[in-house]
Amino acid sequence: MDRFDVALKMMASIIVIYMLISILYLYIAVGENWGLVLSALLESRVHGAIFISISSAILVGILAVAAAIPVAYVLTYANFRGKDILETFLVELPQTFPPVTEGLVYLLMFGRLGLAYTFAAVIIAKFYVSAPFTISFAVRRFTEVRESGIDVIARSLGARTSHILSKILLPLTAKDLLAGFSLTWARAMGELAATLVFAGAIPWVTETLPALIYLASNEKPQVAIAASVIAETLSMISLLSFKLIARRK
Amino acid sequence: MRGLYVQNVSKSFNGVKALDGVELSVEQGEFMVIMGPSGCGKTTLLLVILGALKPDKGLIWIGDREISRLPIEERNIGYVPQDFGLFPHLNVYENIAFGLRVKGYSKSEVDSKVKSLLRMVDLEGFELRKPRELSGGQRQRVALARALAINPSLLLLDEPLSNIDEATKSDVIANLKNLQRKTGITTVCVTHNPEDAFKLGDRIAIMYLGKIIQCGKPKEILENPKNEVIKRLIAPVLI
Repeated sequence: MDRFDVALKMMASIIVIYMLISILYLYIAVGENWGLVLSALLESRVHGAIFISISSAILVGILAVAAAIPVAYVLTYANFRGKDILETFLVELPQTFPPVTEGLVYLLMFGRLGLAYTFAAVIIAKFYVSAPFTISFAVRRFTEVRESGIDVIARSLGARTSHILSKILLPLTAKDLLAGFSLTWARAMGELAATLVFAGAIPWVTETLPALIYLASNEKPQVAIAASVIAETLSMISLLSFKLIARRK
Repeated sequence: MRGLYVQNVSKSFNGVKALDGVELSVEQGEFMVIMGPSGCGKTTLLLVILGALKPDKGLIWIGDREISRLPIEERNIGYVPQDFGLFPHLNVYENIAFGLRVKGYSKSEVDSKVKSLLRMVDLEGFELRKPRELSGGQRQRVALARALAINPSLLLLDEPLSNIDEATKSDVIANLKNLQRKTGITTVCVTHNPEDAFKLGDRIAIMYLGKIIQCGKPKEILENPKNEVIKRLIAPVLI
Protein backbone atom coordinates (compact mmCIF):
# COMPACT_ATOMS: atom_id res chain seq x y z
CA MET A 1 0.00 0.00 0.00
CA ASP A 2 1.35 3.44 -0.95
CA ARG A 3 0.99 5.51 2.23
CA PHE A 4 1.47 8.81 0.40
CA ASP A 5 -1.36 7.90 -1.99
CA VAL A 6 -3.64 7.10 0.96
CA ALA A 7 -2.68 10.35 2.72
CA LEU A 8 -3.50 12.41 -0.38
CA LYS A 9 -6.88 10.68 -0.73
CA MET A 10 -7.69 11.27 2.95
CA MET A 11 -6.81 14.97 2.70
CA ALA A 12 -8.94 15.31 -0.41
CA SER A 13 -11.84 13.53 1.32
CA ILE A 14 -11.69 15.93 4.29
CA ILE A 15 -11.81 18.94 1.94
CA VAL A 16 -14.69 17.42 -0.06
CA ILE A 17 -16.70 16.69 3.10
CA TYR A 18 -16.02 20.19 4.44
CA MET A 19 -17.16 21.82 1.18
CA LEU A 20 -20.28 19.63 0.90
CA ILE A 21 -21.26 20.35 4.51
CA SER A 22 -20.74 24.09 3.90
CA ILE A 23 -23.19 23.88 1.02
CA LEU A 24 -25.75 21.50 2.51
CA TYR A 25 -25.69 22.56 6.18
CA LEU A 26 -28.34 25.20 5.56
CA TYR A 27 -30.89 22.50 4.66
CA ILE A 28 -29.89 20.51 7.78
CA ALA A 29 -30.09 23.63 9.98
CA VAL A 30 -33.65 24.27 8.88
CA GLY A 31 -34.38 20.89 10.51
CA GLU A 32 -37.80 20.79 12.02
CA ASN A 33 -38.48 24.44 11.23
CA TRP A 34 -39.52 23.88 7.63
CA GLY A 35 -43.01 25.05 8.62
CA LEU A 36 -41.65 28.44 9.73
CA VAL A 37 -39.53 28.72 6.61
CA LEU A 38 -42.48 27.86 4.36
CA SER A 39 -44.66 30.44 6.09
CA ALA A 40 -41.91 33.03 5.59
CA LEU A 41 -42.01 32.21 1.91
CA LEU A 42 -45.54 33.64 1.83
CA GLU A 43 -44.33 37.10 2.91
CA SER A 44 -44.59 39.83 0.29
CA ARG A 45 -41.10 41.14 1.15
CA VAL A 46 -39.60 37.73 0.29
CA HIS A 47 -41.55 37.68 -3.01
CA GLY A 48 -40.20 41.15 -3.79
CA ALA A 49 -36.62 40.11 -3.07
CA ILE A 50 -37.00 37.00 -5.25
CA PHE A 51 -38.46 39.12 -8.07
CA ILE A 52 -35.75 41.82 -7.87
CA SER A 53 -32.95 39.26 -7.59
CA ILE A 54 -34.07 37.08 -10.50
CA SER A 55 -35.11 39.92 -12.84
CA SER A 56 -31.95 41.96 -12.20
CA ALA A 57 -29.70 38.89 -12.56
CA ILE A 58 -31.34 37.97 -15.89
CA LEU A 59 -30.93 41.55 -17.16
CA VAL A 60 -27.30 41.62 -16.01
CA GLY A 61 -26.72 38.28 -17.79
CA ILE A 62 -28.20 39.61 -21.05
CA LEU A 63 -26.20 42.85 -20.79
CA ALA A 64 -23.03 40.85 -20.04
CA VAL A 65 -23.49 38.78 -23.23
CA ALA A 66 -24.14 41.96 -25.25
CA ALA A 67 -21.01 43.57 -23.78
CA ALA A 68 -18.84 40.45 -24.04
CA ILE A 69 -19.15 40.17 -27.83
CA PRO A 70 -17.52 43.49 -28.84
CA VAL A 71 -15.05 43.41 -25.95
CA ALA A 72 -13.93 39.85 -26.78
CA TYR A 73 -13.67 40.78 -30.47
CA VAL A 74 -11.39 43.74 -29.74
CA LEU A 75 -9.29 41.81 -27.19
CA THR A 76 -8.90 38.95 -29.69
CA TYR A 77 -8.18 40.85 -32.89
CA ALA A 78 -6.88 44.32 -32.08
CA ASN A 79 -3.17 44.71 -31.56
CA PHE A 80 -2.26 47.55 -29.24
CA ARG A 81 0.07 48.25 -26.37
CA GLY A 82 -1.31 47.44 -22.93
CA LYS A 83 -3.84 44.88 -24.18
CA ASP A 84 -2.93 42.51 -21.34
CA ILE A 85 -3.39 45.28 -18.79
CA LEU A 86 -6.76 46.21 -20.29
CA GLU A 87 -7.85 42.57 -20.08
CA THR A 88 -6.81 42.50 -16.42
CA PHE A 89 -8.92 45.63 -15.78
CA LEU A 90 -11.94 44.21 -17.58
CA VAL A 91 -11.84 40.58 -16.48
CA GLU A 92 -9.72 39.95 -13.42
CA LEU A 93 -9.84 43.18 -11.42
CA PRO A 94 -13.66 43.30 -11.07
CA GLN A 95 -13.51 39.80 -9.60
CA THR A 96 -10.95 40.79 -6.97
CA PHE A 97 -11.85 44.45 -6.32
CA PRO A 98 -13.87 44.87 -3.08
CA PRO A 99 -17.51 45.17 -4.27
CA VAL A 100 -18.33 47.51 -1.39
CA THR A 101 -15.76 49.98 -2.75
CA GLU A 102 -17.27 49.75 -6.21
CA GLY A 103 -20.70 50.47 -4.71
CA LEU A 104 -19.24 53.62 -3.15
CA VAL A 105 -17.59 54.60 -6.44
CA TYR A 106 -20.96 54.31 -8.22
CA LEU A 107 -22.65 56.28 -5.47
CA LEU A 108 -20.17 59.13 -6.06
CA MET A 109 -20.31 58.77 -9.87
CA PHE A 110 -24.05 58.40 -10.44
CA GLY A 111 -25.55 59.66 -7.18
CA ARG A 112 -26.05 63.19 -8.53
CA LEU A 113 -27.77 61.81 -11.62
CA GLY A 114 -30.52 60.37 -9.46
CA LEU A 115 -29.59 56.78 -10.20
CA ALA A 116 -28.81 55.78 -6.61
CA TYR A 117 -31.39 53.63 -4.81
CA THR A 118 -33.17 52.68 -8.04
CA PHE A 119 -33.56 49.38 -9.92
CA ALA A 120 -31.03 50.73 -12.46
CA ALA A 121 -28.51 51.00 -9.60
CA VAL A 122 -29.02 47.30 -8.84
CA ILE A 123 -28.17 46.47 -12.47
CA ILE A 124 -25.14 48.79 -12.59
CA ALA A 125 -23.68 47.42 -9.34
CA LYS A 126 -24.25 43.76 -10.25
CA PHE A 127 -22.97 44.20 -13.81
CA TYR A 128 -19.50 45.35 -12.74
CA VAL A 129 -19.00 42.38 -10.44
CA SER A 130 -20.66 39.69 -12.58
CA ALA A 131 -20.10 40.50 -16.27
CA PRO A 132 -16.38 39.52 -16.27
CA PHE A 133 -17.39 35.84 -16.19
CA THR A 134 -19.09 36.11 -19.60
CA ILE A 135 -16.37 38.39 -20.99
CA SER A 136 -13.70 35.92 -19.91
CA PHE A 137 -15.54 32.95 -21.54
CA ALA A 138 -16.02 34.91 -24.78
CA VAL A 139 -12.39 36.07 -24.96
CA ARG A 140 -11.11 32.53 -24.42
CA ARG A 141 -13.35 31.03 -27.12
CA PHE A 142 -12.82 33.85 -29.65
CA THR A 143 -9.06 33.34 -29.16
CA GLU A 144 -9.42 29.60 -29.79
CA VAL A 145 -11.30 30.29 -33.04
CA ARG A 146 -8.63 32.77 -34.09
CA GLU A 147 -5.87 30.29 -33.34
CA SER A 148 -7.63 27.62 -35.43
CA GLY A 149 -7.26 29.95 -38.44
CA ILE A 150 -10.78 29.38 -39.78
CA ASP A 151 -11.49 33.11 -39.58
CA VAL A 152 -8.64 33.68 -42.08
CA ILE A 153 -10.19 31.08 -44.38
CA ALA A 154 -13.56 32.77 -44.07
CA ARG A 155 -11.96 36.10 -44.98
CA SER A 156 -10.21 34.52 -47.97
CA LEU A 157 -13.68 33.49 -49.16
CA GLY A 158 -14.83 37.11 -49.03
CA ALA A 159 -16.23 37.34 -45.49
CA ARG A 160 -16.17 40.74 -43.83
CA THR A 161 -16.15 41.41 -40.08
CA SER A 162 -19.96 41.21 -39.84
CA HIS A 163 -19.88 37.76 -41.52
CA ILE A 164 -17.01 36.57 -39.32
CA LEU A 165 -19.01 37.56 -36.26
CA SER A 166 -22.43 36.27 -37.34
CA LYS A 167 -21.42 33.13 -39.25
CA ILE A 168 -18.24 31.98 -37.50
CA LEU A 169 -17.60 33.47 -34.07
CA LEU A 170 -21.13 33.58 -32.65
CA PRO A 171 -22.25 30.09 -33.77
CA LEU A 172 -19.00 28.61 -32.44
CA THR A 173 -19.20 30.60 -29.19
CA ALA A 174 -22.91 30.25 -28.45
CA LYS A 175 -22.52 27.52 -25.82
CA ASP A 176 -19.70 29.41 -24.11
CA LEU A 177 -21.75 32.60 -24.03
CA LEU A 178 -24.63 30.63 -22.53
CA ALA A 179 -22.29 29.14 -19.93
CA GLY A 180 -20.93 32.65 -19.23
CA PHE A 181 -24.51 33.93 -18.90
CA SER A 182 -25.22 31.17 -16.37
CA LEU A 183 -22.20 32.02 -14.19
CA THR A 184 -22.87 35.76 -14.47
CA TRP A 185 -26.47 35.14 -13.46
CA ALA A 186 -25.37 33.07 -10.43
CA ARG A 187 -22.80 35.69 -9.37
CA ALA A 188 -25.34 38.50 -9.81
CA MET A 189 -27.83 36.57 -7.69
CA GLY A 190 -25.30 36.43 -4.85
CA GLU A 191 -23.96 40.00 -5.08
CA LEU A 192 -24.56 42.02 -1.90
CA ALA A 193 -22.06 44.72 -1.01
CA ALA A 194 -21.97 46.90 -4.14
CA THR A 195 -25.74 46.66 -4.53
CA LEU A 196 -26.44 47.47 -0.88
CA VAL A 197 -24.21 50.57 -0.91
CA PHE A 198 -25.32 51.96 -4.28
CA ALA A 199 -28.93 50.73 -4.54
CA GLY A 200 -29.93 50.26 -0.89
CA ALA A 201 -32.61 47.75 0.06
CA ILE A 202 -36.05 49.14 -0.74
CA PRO A 203 -38.59 46.28 -0.81
CA TRP A 204 -39.94 45.59 -4.33
CA VAL A 205 -37.51 48.20 -5.79
CA THR A 206 -33.91 47.37 -4.87
CA GLU A 207 -34.03 44.76 -2.12
CA THR A 208 -32.42 41.53 -3.34
CA LEU A 209 -32.29 38.12 -1.66
CA PRO A 210 -28.76 38.66 -0.24
CA ALA A 211 -29.80 42.09 1.11
CA LEU A 212 -32.91 40.58 2.67
CA ILE A 213 -30.85 37.77 4.27
CA TYR A 214 -28.40 40.34 5.67
CA LEU A 215 -31.03 42.72 7.02
CA ALA A 216 -33.44 40.08 8.37
CA SER A 217 -30.85 37.82 9.98
CA ASN A 218 -31.27 39.51 13.41
CA GLU A 219 -34.89 40.54 13.61
CA LYS A 220 -36.56 37.79 11.55
CA PRO A 221 -34.19 34.82 11.28
CA GLN A 222 -36.84 32.54 9.74
CA VAL A 223 -37.23 35.03 6.84
CA ALA A 224 -33.44 35.15 6.43
CA ILE A 225 -33.23 31.35 6.40
CA ALA A 226 -36.12 31.06 3.91
CA ALA A 227 -34.41 33.58 1.61
CA SER A 228 -31.10 31.73 2.02
CA VAL A 229 -32.68 28.39 1.07
CA ILE A 230 -34.11 30.00 -2.08
CA ALA A 231 -30.85 31.76 -2.99
CA GLU A 232 -28.73 28.65 -2.45
CA THR A 233 -31.12 26.35 -4.33
CA LEU A 234 -31.30 28.74 -7.29
CA SER A 235 -27.52 29.02 -7.32
CA MET A 236 -27.09 25.23 -7.34
CA ILE A 237 -29.65 24.76 -10.12
CA SER A 238 -27.90 27.43 -12.19
CA LEU A 239 -24.43 25.92 -11.77
CA LEU A 240 -25.65 22.39 -12.44
CA SER A 241 -27.26 23.63 -15.68
CA PHE A 242 -23.91 25.24 -16.56
CA LYS A 243 -22.17 21.90 -16.06
CA LEU A 244 -24.75 20.17 -18.27
CA ILE A 245 -24.22 22.76 -21.02
CA ALA A 246 -20.45 22.34 -20.80
CA ARG A 247 -20.74 18.54 -20.94
CA ARG A 248 -22.89 18.67 -24.09
CA LYS A 249 -20.05 20.51 -25.89
CA MET B 1 0.98 35.19 -69.26
CA ARG B 2 2.00 35.57 -65.62
CA GLY B 3 -0.47 34.25 -63.00
CA LEU B 4 1.45 35.29 -59.88
CA TYR B 5 4.54 37.37 -59.29
CA VAL B 6 6.18 37.65 -55.88
CA GLN B 7 8.59 40.56 -56.11
CA ASN B 8 11.45 40.83 -53.65
CA VAL B 9 9.35 39.94 -50.58
CA SER B 10 10.91 39.91 -47.11
CA LYS B 11 9.39 39.17 -43.74
CA SER B 12 10.99 38.94 -40.28
CA PHE B 13 9.66 37.79 -36.93
CA ASN B 14 11.42 39.33 -33.91
CA GLY B 15 14.49 40.07 -35.99
CA VAL B 16 14.66 36.57 -37.53
CA LYS B 17 14.28 36.59 -41.32
CA ALA B 18 11.57 34.14 -42.42
CA LEU B 19 11.55 35.45 -46.01
CA ASP B 20 14.61 37.07 -47.49
CA GLY B 21 13.97 38.86 -50.79
CA VAL B 22 11.83 36.10 -52.31
CA GLU B 23 11.31 36.30 -56.10
CA LEU B 24 8.83 33.89 -57.65
CA SER B 25 6.99 33.95 -60.93
CA VAL B 26 4.17 31.51 -61.71
CA GLU B 27 2.61 31.21 -65.16
CA GLN B 28 -1.16 31.41 -65.61
CA GLY B 29 -2.63 27.90 -65.15
CA GLU B 30 0.63 26.47 -63.84
CA PHE B 31 0.96 24.11 -60.84
CA MET B 32 3.94 25.45 -58.89
CA VAL B 33 5.24 23.55 -55.87
CA ILE B 34 7.39 25.27 -53.28
CA MET B 35 9.47 22.61 -51.60
CA GLY B 36 11.77 22.98 -48.63
CA PRO B 37 12.52 21.70 -45.14
CA SER B 38 10.41 22.65 -42.11
CA GLY B 39 11.01 26.23 -41.02
CA CYS B 40 12.39 27.41 -44.37
CA GLY B 41 9.60 30.01 -44.73
CA LYS B 42 7.30 28.33 -47.25
CA THR B 43 4.11 28.63 -45.17
CA THR B 44 5.02 32.23 -44.32
CA LEU B 45 5.31 32.92 -48.06
CA LEU B 46 1.88 31.36 -48.63
CA LEU B 47 0.34 33.49 -45.86
CA VAL B 48 1.96 36.65 -47.26
CA ILE B 49 0.50 35.89 -50.72
CA LEU B 50 -2.89 35.20 -49.10
CA GLY B 51 -2.75 38.47 -47.15
CA ALA B 52 -2.86 36.94 -43.67
CA LEU B 53 0.66 38.31 -43.03
CA LYS B 54 1.99 41.69 -44.10
CA PRO B 55 5.40 41.60 -45.76
CA ASP B 56 8.08 43.98 -44.43
CA LYS B 57 8.90 44.80 -48.04
CA GLY B 58 8.16 43.63 -51.56
CA LEU B 59 5.09 43.38 -53.77
CA ILE B 60 2.61 40.67 -54.78
CA TRP B 61 1.02 40.65 -58.23
CA ILE B 62 -1.83 38.49 -59.53
CA GLY B 63 -1.82 38.94 -63.30
CA ASP B 64 -1.34 42.67 -63.80
CA ARG B 65 -3.05 43.54 -60.51
CA GLU B 66 -0.86 44.58 -57.59
CA ILE B 67 -2.57 43.16 -54.49
CA SER B 68 -0.04 43.80 -51.70
CA ARG B 69 -2.20 46.38 -49.95
CA LEU B 70 -5.55 44.64 -50.44
CA PRO B 71 -7.20 42.98 -47.42
CA ILE B 72 -7.59 39.18 -47.61
CA GLU B 73 -11.27 39.35 -48.47
CA GLU B 74 -10.58 41.41 -51.60
CA ARG B 75 -7.73 39.30 -53.02
CA ASN B 76 -9.92 36.52 -54.45
CA ILE B 77 -7.50 33.76 -53.51
CA GLY B 78 -8.63 30.20 -52.72
CA TYR B 79 -6.77 28.74 -49.74
CA VAL B 80 -6.64 25.19 -48.42
CA PRO B 81 -4.62 24.92 -45.19
CA GLN B 82 -2.85 21.84 -43.92
CA ASP B 83 -5.73 20.79 -41.65
CA PHE B 84 -8.25 21.80 -44.37
CA GLY B 85 -9.87 24.35 -42.00
CA LEU B 86 -13.46 23.29 -42.60
CA PHE B 87 -16.04 25.19 -40.57
CA PRO B 88 -16.93 22.57 -37.94
CA HIS B 89 -20.47 23.85 -37.31
CA LEU B 90 -21.46 23.80 -41.00
CA ASN B 91 -22.25 20.76 -43.15
CA VAL B 92 -20.56 20.00 -46.47
CA TYR B 93 -23.10 21.98 -48.51
CA GLU B 94 -22.89 25.02 -46.21
CA ASN B 95 -19.09 24.91 -46.17
CA ILE B 96 -18.93 25.02 -49.96
CA ALA B 97 -21.69 27.65 -50.15
CA PHE B 98 -20.04 29.93 -47.56
CA GLY B 99 -18.07 32.14 -49.94
CA LEU B 100 -20.94 32.44 -52.40
CA ARG B 101 -23.38 33.45 -49.68
CA VAL B 102 -21.15 36.14 -48.17
CA LYS B 103 -20.57 37.49 -51.67
CA GLY B 104 -24.33 37.87 -52.07
CA TYR B 105 -25.10 35.25 -54.74
CA SER B 106 -28.80 34.35 -55.07
CA LYS B 107 -30.12 31.12 -53.56
CA SER B 108 -30.49 29.44 -56.96
CA GLU B 109 -26.99 30.51 -58.07
CA VAL B 110 -25.53 29.14 -54.83
CA ASP B 111 -27.43 25.89 -55.23
CA SER B 112 -26.39 25.27 -58.83
CA LYS B 113 -22.74 26.17 -58.18
CA VAL B 114 -22.51 24.00 -55.04
CA LYS B 115 -24.11 21.04 -56.83
CA SER B 116 -21.70 21.30 -59.74
CA LEU B 117 -18.72 21.50 -57.35
CA LEU B 118 -19.99 18.49 -55.38
CA ARG B 119 -20.11 16.58 -58.70
CA MET B 120 -16.62 17.79 -59.59
CA VAL B 121 -15.09 16.55 -56.32
CA ASP B 122 -17.22 13.41 -56.33
CA LEU B 123 -19.04 14.14 -53.08
CA GLU B 124 -22.67 14.00 -54.19
CA GLY B 125 -24.81 12.59 -51.40
CA PHE B 126 -22.49 13.99 -48.70
CA GLU B 127 -24.18 17.42 -48.54
CA LEU B 128 -25.58 17.07 -45.03
CA ARG B 129 -22.54 15.51 -43.39
CA LYS B 130 -20.54 17.52 -40.86
CA PRO B 131 -16.73 17.69 -41.33
CA ARG B 132 -16.16 15.31 -38.39
CA GLU B 133 -18.12 12.62 -40.27
CA LEU B 134 -15.74 12.66 -43.26
CA SER B 135 -12.42 10.94 -43.98
CA GLY B 136 -9.22 12.98 -44.51
CA GLY B 137 -9.49 12.71 -48.30
CA GLN B 138 -13.16 13.73 -48.28
CA ARG B 139 -12.42 16.72 -46.04
CA GLN B 140 -9.72 17.82 -48.44
CA ARG B 141 -12.13 17.62 -51.40
CA VAL B 142 -14.68 19.72 -49.51
CA ALA B 143 -11.97 22.29 -48.73
CA LEU B 144 -10.95 22.35 -52.40
CA ALA B 145 -14.54 22.74 -53.57
CA ARG B 146 -15.06 25.54 -51.05
CA ALA B 147 -11.93 27.34 -52.25
CA LEU B 148 -12.89 26.92 -55.91
CA ALA B 149 -16.49 28.07 -55.36
CA ILE B 150 -15.51 31.74 -55.43
CA ASN B 151 -13.77 31.38 -58.85
CA PRO B 152 -10.42 32.43 -57.38
CA SER B 153 -7.61 33.90 -59.46
CA LEU B 154 -5.11 31.79 -57.52
CA LEU B 155 -5.26 28.61 -55.43
CA LEU B 156 -2.92 28.14 -52.46
CA LEU B 157 -2.43 24.66 -50.98
CA ASP B 158 -0.51 24.21 -47.73
CA GLU B 159 0.95 20.69 -47.36
CA PRO B 160 -2.08 19.10 -49.07
CA LEU B 161 -0.84 15.54 -48.60
CA SER B 162 0.31 15.66 -44.99
CA ASN B 163 -3.06 14.56 -43.57
CA ILE B 164 -3.67 11.89 -46.19
CA ASP B 165 -2.80 8.25 -45.49
CA GLU B 166 -0.27 6.52 -47.76
CA ALA B 167 -2.86 4.11 -49.21
CA THR B 168 -4.92 6.89 -50.79
CA LYS B 169 -2.09 9.34 -51.52
CA SER B 170 -1.67 8.45 -55.20
CA ASP B 171 -5.43 8.84 -55.78
CA VAL B 172 -5.38 12.23 -54.04
CA ILE B 173 -2.42 13.38 -56.15
CA ALA B 174 -4.21 12.28 -59.34
CA ASN B 175 -7.40 14.06 -58.20
CA LEU B 176 -5.53 17.26 -57.35
CA LYS B 177 -3.73 17.33 -60.70
CA ASN B 178 -6.90 16.47 -62.56
CA LEU B 179 -8.91 19.16 -60.78
CA GLN B 180 -6.23 21.77 -61.41
CA ARG B 181 -6.06 20.91 -65.12
CA LYS B 182 -9.85 20.91 -65.42
CA THR B 183 -10.21 24.34 -63.81
CA GLY B 184 -6.98 25.78 -65.28
CA ILE B 185 -6.41 27.71 -62.08
CA THR B 186 -2.93 28.98 -61.21
CA THR B 187 -1.90 26.92 -58.16
CA VAL B 188 0.86 27.32 -55.60
CA CYS B 189 1.37 24.40 -53.26
CA VAL B 190 3.90 24.08 -50.46
CA THR B 191 5.31 20.81 -49.18
CA HIS B 192 8.32 19.54 -47.26
CA ASN B 193 8.16 16.17 -49.04
CA PRO B 194 10.32 16.01 -52.21
CA GLU B 195 8.50 12.93 -53.56
CA ASP B 196 5.13 14.71 -53.33
CA ALA B 197 6.67 17.84 -54.86
CA PHE B 198 7.99 16.01 -57.91
CA LYS B 199 4.67 14.21 -58.46
CA LEU B 200 2.56 17.35 -58.17
CA GLY B 201 4.48 20.23 -59.69
CA ASP B 202 4.67 21.47 -63.27
CA ARG B 203 7.59 23.41 -61.81
CA ILE B 204 9.27 23.27 -58.43
CA ALA B 205 10.77 26.13 -56.45
CA ILE B 206 13.20 24.96 -53.81
CA MET B 207 13.23 27.13 -50.72
CA TYR B 208 15.92 27.25 -48.07
CA LEU B 209 16.48 29.72 -45.22
CA GLY B 210 13.85 32.13 -46.56
CA LYS B 211 15.11 32.19 -50.17
CA ILE B 212 14.17 30.44 -53.39
CA ILE B 213 17.47 28.78 -54.28
CA GLN B 214 16.41 27.00 -57.47
CA CYS B 215 13.28 26.99 -59.60
CA GLY B 216 12.60 24.81 -62.61
CA LYS B 217 10.83 21.81 -64.11
CA PRO B 218 11.20 18.59 -62.07
CA LYS B 219 13.45 17.06 -64.76
CA GLU B 220 15.74 20.13 -64.84
CA ILE B 221 16.18 20.08 -61.07
CA LEU B 222 16.82 16.34 -61.00
CA GLU B 223 19.40 16.60 -63.78
CA ASN B 224 21.04 19.84 -62.68
CA PRO B 225 20.75 20.50 -58.96
CA LYS B 226 22.47 23.85 -58.41
CA ASN B 227 24.33 22.97 -55.24
CA GLU B 228 24.88 20.45 -52.46
CA VAL B 229 21.95 21.71 -50.35
CA ILE B 230 19.55 21.00 -53.22
CA LYS B 231 21.12 17.62 -53.87
CA ARG B 232 20.56 16.77 -50.21
CA LEU B 233 16.95 18.03 -50.25
CA ILE B 234 15.99 16.03 -53.32
CA ALA B 235 17.99 12.92 -52.34
CA PRO B 236 14.87 10.81 -51.57
CA VAL B 237 13.72 11.31 -55.18
CA LEU B 238 17.18 10.52 -56.63
CA ILE B 239 17.20 7.20 -54.72
